[in-house]
Formats: sequence, C-alpha cells, structure tokens
Amino acid sequence: MIFTETKRYYVERRVVDRMTVTGTTGFEPYFARLRADMDGEIEQFVNTFTINETYFYREEHQLTCLTSELLADRLKTKPRGQPIRIWSVPCSTGEEPYSIALWLLENWQHVDEHDIEIVGSDIDTDAIASARAGVYGKRALMRLPRPVVDRYFVPTGVDTWQIVSDLRDSVHFTRVNIVDRVETRAHGQFDVIFCRNVLIYFDDLSRRTAAENLFENLYPGGFICLGHTESMSRISPLFDVAWFADAIVYRRPSR
Amino acid sequence: MPLIRKPPSAADEKSTASESAVLDALARGNDDERWAAARVAADFPDSVPAIADALRRERSAVVRKALFSALARIASPQSVEAVLPFLRSDDALARTEACDTLIAMKEAAWPSVAALLRDPDADVRILACSLARDMPRDSAVSLCCELLDSEPEINVCAGAVEVLAEIGEAAALPALERCAQRFGDAPFLAFSIQMAIDRVRSQPSVSRA
Repeated sequence: MIFTETKRYYVERRVVDRMTVTGTTGFEPYFARLRADMDGEIEQFVNTFTINETYFYREEHQLTCLTSELLADRLKTKPRGQPIRIWSVPCSTGEEPYSIALWLLENWQHVDEHDIEIVGSDIDTDAIASARAGVYGKRALMRLPRPVVDRYFVPTGVDTWQIVSDLRDSVHFTRVNIVDRVETRAHGQFDVIFCRNVLIYFDDLSRRTAAENLFENLYPGGFICLGHTESMSRISPLFDVAWFADAIVYRRPSR
Repeated sequence: MPLIRKPPSAADEKSTASESAVLDALARGNDDERWAAARVAADFPDSVPAIADALRRERSAVVRKALFSALARIASPQSVEAVLPFLRSDDALARTEACDTLIAMKEAAWPSVAALLRDPDADVRILACSLARDMPRDSAVSLCCELLDSEPEINVCAGAVEVLAEIGEAAALPALERCAQRFGDAPFLAFSIQMAIDRVRSQPSVSRA
C-alpha cells in the first residue's frame, strides 16, 4: 500500500489508535513493538489500514454481466462437471461474495445445473471474521430488494440482519495477501475473479506482482472484474480487454 | 442450494524450485515452464545474468513481462543494468516495459537517471524524464532544470516540462523561462511551459521525501 503526503493524517490517526489500544506511551516503543510483531501487532496494524466500507449489490452492472455473459462464455469451454469457481478478493466483510451468491440464486436460470464454488478472501482477519458471522446493518442492505432480504436474511436486532446459515456455509472465507505469490497460488484457479478497488492502493511493483498473481489464478479464458475507476491496461499487458453490454472486464487470453 | 463450499483446491505451496532448475526452465522450457520459472526467478538474485539472457531471447510477451517483473523485484544495480539496454529496443512495447520496470525499481534505478538524461538517443532521454518524475523532488527538479538549459530536442524539453508541471517548485521557474526563450518559435512548448509556470506558482510548497 502506498500513502502519499495527503494521507498523513489518515496514517497518523491509525498509528495513534494502535498506540492507545496497545498502551504504548510513544511512537518509538510502539514502532519497536511493531517491528518485533509483539502479540501479532503487524496483523492488527494492517487491519487498521484496510477499508471495509461496502454494501450488497455494489457495481451491480458487473453482476448483471456475470450472469448475462461471463458464465455462459466460460461454460462454452469448461469441462463438464467441473465446478464454476468465483473469487472475491479482497472480500472485506463479505458483502461482495454474498452478493455474488444472492445474485446467482436470484438471477441465473442455470444456477441449479452447476456446482458453483465462491471463495471470499481478504488480508484483514477481522474483516474475514465479520464476513463469516454475516451480520449487516441497514446501510449495507440498502440496494437489496425487500423480497431478497426477507428470503436470505434473518433479523438479529434493531436494524441488523444476519445472512441465513445455508448461505453463510456456502461461501468459503480465507486470508490472503494478493501480493504474495505462494498465498495466491494456494487458492487455485478461478473462472471469474472480482478484485475491485484494491490495486489503486498499491505501488507500481506491488501492483504488477498482484496482477501477475491474479493472472495465474485465472483459468485461460477466465475473467477479472476491477473497480470502475481501475484499468488493468495501465497495470499489466497480460490481460485482454473484454467489452460486454453491461461492463468492461479483463480476460486471461485462452491458449 | 447449488453453491458448494470446499477448501482451496491447491495445496499450500512453498517455492521449492532450485536455482538450477529455474535457470534450466528459463533456457529450455515451453511457454508455461518459462513463465513459471520467470515468476520465481526473483527468489535467486544471483540469476540476473541468466534472466537478462532469457529476456534478450524471449518472444512471448507474457513471459517477457514476468522476466521484467523478476528484475524489478530484485532491484539491484545488476538488475538495473540488465534492464537499461531495453530502453533502446526497436520494440516499442519492450521500451515501455523497461521504463515501467525501472520506475518500479525506485531507488535502485535513480543513480542511472542523470546519465540517461544525457544519452545520445533523444527517445531514451524522453523516457528518462519519466523516471525522474518519481525521484526525490529536489533531485528531480535539479535534473530537469539542468536538462532544460542544454537540451537541443524540443520533445525532450517537453518531457521535462511535463515533470516540472507536476512536481516543480519555485527554483524551477528561471530554467522554465530560459527554455521558453530558447524555443520562442515553438508555440506548443511555450504553452506547456506557461502552464507549468502557472502550476508551480499556484502550488503551496510541499516537501517530498
């Protein structure tokens, strides 16, 4: 991750937060604690810098594209019986992988004909724990049609809902650092990867390393969806641009 | 529910390839094997000469990209030297990749920038302006101002002006004005320089590490 001078306050605030939580009295002792990774401080420090604000059905046009074009395209060449694999990375607190699951169940007429494996991964272990719990507030659900909320969520308190256990059990959550090749390779290959709004936070070298890792994580002919402000063409020439009616996505060339 | 949940399909993999196996795959493997070897080559910093050899021979754009990335990750004086010749390649994609690689190398590439800005090839000097952009501000401004005072090619000056428009400070104004006078008959450069001067004058001074 790269933070420019304009993000100084953002960084300072989080360092001060960690110093308060750990009871350290100044920057030097805190820095020593961080360098020594005392009580897993590096992971906690990373967690404070990740941005977990999102909601269900965000960038819905890409979900539309998934069911109107991408899956049909993948099925043309995919061996029969092999599960369709979809990766949401980073998945933050789970809104995106659950959105994919809900969207498929509600909008893809072939959903019962295939095994579909959805994996959600993030570097932030607190976010992954929240994703597994699957409890969300009103703002996260604001884009979901009411019948969808009624079918797949149960109220758990004032303005909080939990995703039904069947759905929670159907998404596999893992920790991953997408710049780490060994960690990403361990996740295998996917038909479609949603990797939205994270590459913009990386420096040049990390960005190209992540792009190469994600390239390896795609089956030949597989697709990657980025955030609407991101362009893989500026990051890596490895991928082809794929233009569809509902979205522009990127594709690992077929052999 | 048709959604299935499985643990990730591949076993947790550690990089166990030996240096000799990687170098052998780089030299003799098929496309997939060369790609895989290029991706782990950065684990062996001593393999820079072999990576450079492979880069000179490589015809697959995908594998070449991974070889450049390996050199970027190693980011040593030797890996910088291995990338520099590609700034002169006849292949525009290779030139761009070399420039992007040097930018990604950051500090390791910065000692080469001054010499590249004096390179006999104007195209190399233009690419060097892109490298200067990411250097510490004082060094970048100083190098670009020196170039503006002596550079005979208008397009190279335009590259330096573009950098100064982004990162310039008050110290750059005299060099920008002298350059505008030197190329007084080139309206596009005069326009670019005026825009750079206006930007420099409008920006509060911000220290750059």
